[in-house]
Amino acid sequence: MKPAPTLSTAFLHPAGHTLPEPLAALRRQQSSSLVDLPLPTRKTENWKYSSKYLKLTDEMAISLPADGKSGSSLAVPGYKVVVLNGIMMPEASDYPDLDGITIERFEDLDGDTATWLAERLDHALDSQSVQISRLNTARFEDGLLIRLKPGAVLDQPLFIIHETNADASGSAYPRIYVDAGANSQITLVEEYISSGTESAMVNTVTEMNLGEGANVTSIRLNMEGENVQHIGSTGVLQQRSSRFESHCVGFGGPLRRHDLQVRLEGEGADCKLNGVVVTQGKQHYDNHTTIEHVAAHCNSEETYRNIAADQSHAVFNGRIHIHQDAQKSNAEMNNKNLLLSNGAEIDTKPELEIYADDVKCAHGATIGQLDETSLFYLVSRGIGRREANVLLTMAFINELVEQIPVEAVRETAQGRLNHFFEQTFQEA
Amino acid sequence: MLSIKNLHASVEGKEILKGINLEIKAGEVHAIMGPNGSGKSTLSQVLAGNEAFEVTEGEVTLNGENLLELETEERAREGVFLAFQYPVEIPGVSNLQFLRTAVNALRHHRGESEMNAAEFMKLAKEVSRQVDLDPAFLKRGVNQGFSGGEKKRNEIMQALLLQPKLAILDETDSGLDIDALQVVSNGVNALRAKDRAILMVTHYQRLLNHIVPDYVHVLAGGRIVKSGGRELALELEERGYGWLGIKEEETANSSAN
Repeated sequence: MKPAPTLSTAFLHPAGHTLPEPLAALRRQQSSSLVDLPLPTRKTENWKYSSKYLKLTDEMAISLPADGKSGSSLAVPGYKVVVLNGIMMPEASDYPDLDGITIERFEDLDGDTATWLAERLDHALDSQSVQISRLNTARFEDGLLIRLKPGAVLDQPLFIIHETNADASGSAYPRIYVDAGANSQITLVEEYISSGTESAMVNTVTEMNLGEGANVTSIRLNMEGENVQHIGSTGVLQQRSSRFESHCVGFGGPLRRHDLQVRLEGEGADCKLNGVVVTQGKQHYDNHTTIEHVAAHCNSEETYRNIAADQSHAVFNGRIHIHQDAQKSNAEMNNKNLLLSNGAEIDTKPELEIYADDVKCAHGATIGQLDETSLFYLVSRGIGRREANVLLTMAFINELVEQIPVEAVRETAQGRLNHFFEQTFQEA
Repeated sequence: MLSIKNLHASVEGKEILKGINLEIKAGEVHAIMGPNGSGKSTLSQVLAGNEAFEVTEGEVTLNGENLLELETEERAREGVFLAFQYPVEIPGVSNLQFLRTAVNALRHHRGESEMNAAEFMKLAKEVSRQVDLDPAFLKRGVNQGFSGGEKKRNEIMQALLLQPKLAILDETDSGLDIDALQVVSNGVNALRAKDRAILMVTHYQRLLNHIVPDYVHVLAGGRIVKSGGRELALELEERGYGWLGIKEEETANSSAN
């Protein structure tokens, strides 16, 4: 038998950027723990459908440089932080010094804060199920620490533009930690874009800790190019009565993976996870979500929709784990899928693990095609077949897109989706 | 305007239409009556271009143009309109977006400029009032959560917006109470025009009290077995289909064979 492939040691060379010692120590420690890390194969349960898309070459082990470049000048309707190849670009960023809210680079942290942060990093994610994301902790060159004091409210959305510049082959490791104090509020938009055409990997980790009564809305737009493999993990810890709302809109690529893990640790916490994915050509996209109902009286509501055209491949795996003490949990999960061609593939798997006896837990998953009756109705009014296809496909996800709370982001997403569908049906 | 010659059509290998001949001139209103299973709805669907039905023989022309060679959307652009017996609910597409896309598709075909959102809104509001639909319906999903009567009014509203040359009304009276029937009939009567043909398919004669046809045809077993003026409808009302040698249930069965 062939030995299982392991992560190339090329990926474990020390990162170049200097960080405060507690974070540098964490990085070294993680790096040594990843020697001989098995790479996922189709026998690895949580990578079963996606391992064949993961292609890590030694050229991609090199940290993509961020020197001498200005970063994205994208205009955004809110505050902006530009992160280029995992390094924050202060001159391209635009955020005010607000009372009660601090945004700091890992590099600039004082010793105490760095120690505090090093003790918290990686705690919001289950390291077993996000094995490739562990590489982020071994390699991050910089990071953003966003802290909201109790009661602090950010008046406009904060956009974090993650730009991967791949003029040469390499990888980037953006890292974000959000500490939202009691009753604080923030809307965070993470937009992933790319430039350059060489093969690259972005391995990104975002963790959030929501204090009692905190309210965090997170929007994630995944729009990198065809040369970029994306492995992302988001871990969320929720204390009592906090509310977390997530909207993920993703366009396929050579490899797209997002693990979203939410732990409802305090009573009365509430989360809503929405996701939309579209893939075309030979693209791939894999969403793995986990909701841990640890405390009693928590609600979770999850709705994901995938649309796969051509020979593309979309995967959804939704896990809900209701712990023994999580009585009166209320969990709903729904996943609907639309196959636009016979060559496309969608794999969906709900996983429910319930150890409490007084809970409500509902799930549903469907895979279908465009409805012929609806299509006939539209074309019988003179609407062209292509346009009718676009209308019906948009309709399939409109319900979710319409819920994106920031109008400009919603319009961006809608514009991109429209363009995607028109292109898809043009070729059909 | 519409000429149907020896039209045969099948669904899933079963022949439903077995040689229909029908001529409709511009300005005329024709009613097709007949028992369940006689092929009335099949005829409507075939004319509109539903691919679930296969035309095996015969020809259909609209103003001399071979309709059977055209795709569904091309027929609509040439002026064919079918008011569905069961209008389809499409959540996620707003009625307004649907109607404007359809109107603009037809305008584009005629070489006219597209209507912008504001212009179209004004027009749509006017027409919705004509069929007694609250303009609030425009913002809802296509037919989503509409009552049976509201769906039928929405069909007539579409006909008024699209101004077809040939309007085919498939059981437009079914499921309507008397007030809704009146509203729908007013809408259809507003459609009557010198340059437009209307083909009404109905099981009951009551619609014909409101929309008086020029000709009435009886369809049974996939053929037109009798044609006449509007008095034929009254006779059918009084005597049923039996005197024409048609037994309702048998007809339904025979067409399914």
